[in-house]
Amino acid sequence: MLKTETFTLNMGPQHPSTHGVLQVVLELDGETVVQAIPNMGYLHRGIEKLAESRTYAQFIPYTDRLDYVSSMGNNLGYCQTVEKMMDIKVPERAEYLRIIMTELNRIASHLIFMGSLAIDLGASTGMMFGFRSRERILDLFDMVCGARQTYTYIRFGGVSADIPSEFIPALERFLTDFPAMLDEYHRLLTGNEILYHRLKNTGVISAQRAVEIGLTGPALRASGVDYDIRKVEPYGIYDRFDFSVPLGQVGDCWDRYTIRMEEMKQSAGIVAQALSQMPEGTVMASVPKVVKPPAGEVYHSIENPRGELGYYIVSNGGTNPYRLHVRRPSFINLQVLNEACQGLLIGDVVAILATLDSLMGEVDC
Amino acid sequence: MVGKGLLEGMRVTLKAFFSKKETLQYPEIKLTMPERFRGGELELDNQKCIACGLCARACPNHVIELTTGTDEQKKRHLTSYIYHSGLCLYCNYCIEACPTNAICWDKNYENARFFKDELDVDCLAIAKQKSATIVDAAPADQPNAEQEDALNKEGER
Amino acid sequence: MQEITGLFKIAEILRAILGRFLSDPQLVDICMSLINIGSIFTIISLTAVVLVYAERKVSAFMQRRSGPNRVGPGGTLQTVADMVKLMAKEDIMPAGADKWMWMLAPILLFIPAAAVFVVFPFDNKAIFADLNIGVFYFIAMSSQSVLPFLMAGWASNNKYSLVGGMRTVAQMLSYEVPMVLSILGIVMLAGSMRMSTIVAAQQHTWFILLQPIAFVVYVITATAEINRAPFDLVEGESEIVAGPFTEYTGMRWALFFLAEYANLLAVSVIATTLFLGGWNGPWLPGWVWFFLKVGGMVFLFMWFRWTFPRLRIDQLMSFGWKVLLPLALLNIIVTGIGMYIYEFFS
Repeated sequence: MLKTETFTLNMGPQHPSTHGVLQVVLELDGETVVQAIPNMGYLHRGIEKLAESRTYAQFIPYTDRLDYVSSMGNNLGYCQTVEKMMDIKVPERAEYLRIIMTELNRIASHLIFMGSLAIDLGASTGMMFGFRSRERILDLFDMVCGARQTYTYIRFGGVSADIPSEFIPALERFLTDFPAMLDEYHRLLTGNEILYHRLKNTGVISAQRAVEIGLTGPALRASGVDYDIRKVEPYGIYDRFDFSVPLGQVGDCWDRYTIRMEEMKQSAGIVAQALSQMPEGTVMASVPKVVKPPAGEVYHSIENPRGELGYYIVSNGGTNPYRLHVRRPSFINLQVLNEACQGLLIGDVVAILATLDSLMGEVDC
Repeated sequence: MVGKGLLEGMRVTLKAFFSKKETLQYPEIKLTMPERFRGGELELDNQKCIACGLCARACPNHVIELTTGTDEQKKRHLTSYIYHSGLCLYCNYCIEACPTNAICWDKNYENARFFKDELDVDCLAIAKQKSATIVDAAPADQPNAEQEDALNKEGER
Repeated sequence: MQEITGLFKIAEILRAILGRFLSDPQLVDICMSLINIGSIFTIISLTAVVLVYAERKVSAFMQRRSGPNRVGPGGTLQTVADMVKLMAKEDIMPAGADKWMWMLAPILLFIPAAAVFVVFPFDNKAIFADLNIGVFYFIAMSSQSVLPFLMAGWASNNKYSLVGGMRTVAQMLSYEVPMVLSILGIVMLAGSMRMSTIVAAQQHTWFILLQPIAFVVYVITATAEINRAPFDLVEGESEIVAGPFTEYTGMRWALFFLAEYANLLAVSVIATTLFLGGWNGPWLPGWVWFFLKVGGMVFLFMWFRWTFPRLRIDQLMSFGWKVLLPLALLNIIVTGIGMYIYEFFS
């Protein structure tokens, strides 16, 4: 009797394209994927637990280490949550600076997405180009807060420091150069027929399924669900800016790719608007030296490059959080991997992983 | 037309082939770090330090380990100041907490070490050594000492 | 001066020098054969060294980096340093590997890669064996490299290697067919499978002008044959780590590498010979023209690699069978009809 068998292939935790230490247990029938079970926890550092032994302010540097390619967003989400608990009013200028930084960070994060997608599909030049442009943004951050990746820039009641004088000219230079950079990527990658055929109609996630699983961010919007917290529930001063939220139709890898490319353009637009509207003034509200939020609990979420980043803090009135939970978009978005991969090929698993854009620092919090 | 995108991509890479290189040849050419750069090791100025321990308390990760003692005039001073750079998050909290600006970053980003215990820096010893060399150098540098005297006198007035 | 610039003339001078010391003309022939073999192996091993360096430089320049520039002037000795490193590396054999198959695979892969160099016309008359079935010999030899890949994939006792090995077989077998058919058009035009005749037939018109479709099909299939991006599914770094090479270390791995670059040179030489007029060209000596053209082809292949993403296995197969094969067949039909019309009018 002839029969076929499936075999198990452990993709990761050491693998060139699992973006960190993710293990995907693939059950394969030849090259066809029968099941793709993500196995998480290789980068678990217990950050939520660490929060309980740190004061509120001391936890800000740890948020940098969650989604380490968009740390500004992590800082912002956490600080806004605590500010919500304590009812702190943030100065205008600080609000604008926060918007500029988080949107720049969104661009930087999407550039990494583009680069890692390119290298996962075998086009290493695309990766080099993406990382090269990201350096420009990191230089800006370096100028403002002295760090390139773990910023700790956004603090309770504002930002840690006002921008130096050379920042605005440098930012303006970046904003003028950015459309040309984006155009270069479109010509190198988006227009490429091989990339199109690799991504089109692979890893389709229906809108209904995306909502059921709880996808957020570009992965959700690719399926055509118009949900962007910046629009739905504008935090900070997002209601003052004019930008559009790109939506996909099918929910395949191609939509997830194009949406992020378009979001970069929109983010650059927001930065330009914020820069022109930014008032003078202080960047820090008066915040008590020892932060002691009243007892109670609060949930606040922001739109990070990867989706809805939410912080849930329970306070018992002490100096440390009683319990802190982070709703990490990468972790939840990754849950769709198995469904999206079934029936596809090994090459598609890589493409889906790259377009879901899960970051292991955030998955294993 | 099929293949147009491929040719366009090839044009992009060909253009890149002939354009200027964007990388620096690292050990020969080094980037200057911005003014606010947080990195390297902590540099302690033991003259300024009042041994209040705020830096150690601000630190989220217990990186700074310091002990204090009191001298004859009941003035508190440092007896040891160890900075565990392997644990450091480079968050800048200690420097922001310092009331006298006694610590700062040395901005040396080449802090790879061969052994783990080399990551623990005895900042006080370094600071003392540094001030000792300055004191040694000072007598030879007459005009400077005079200037200092002048400044001190002004300060007294 | 013109006389001694040709490679064949150099060989004749050598032959004359040898003739003075050796009495028997047969001994001279044997010596010349040995020199020829030696120079072919020199070319192959030099190729790997030069091409690896060139590849790293090309990739660096396309990504706006400088590439290797530390070892030797301009980094030229980088590959040599790498070779030394590879030779000094520990030879690790995976547990449960099929020992003999595993050890033989890299050697067997190298043999066809070296053997095809016999029929390459480097210059006028400078060809080791001007077989009357030269083109056929090249195709036959180069298709041998399928088996070592599968051997390496199977014997490594690694699932990534096995998937890679299976991919190679599927890919190389299906791209062999359109490749042969694209070359067939040239053979029809030249009326011979002998390399020297084909080059001589391109004295006035290069065959790329008469057979542009065949050239495109050849370049695409050749890229697939030598497993380079966008057809590098065999190695497919981001998918199956390194395919059949995953478990190889040190010199064994270097042999794979050597064969890969020897194959890259081989397909570039064939493209030059069949489509770009071989050694033909004005002013410069033949072999300079030859290597210039080969260099151009190699650059083209590198250019592909550092620009394009990789195809997926099903797309690869359908592209080969549904696009390239009909295109190659069509090319043959058009060539045949064209030849008849040409004969009819002249």
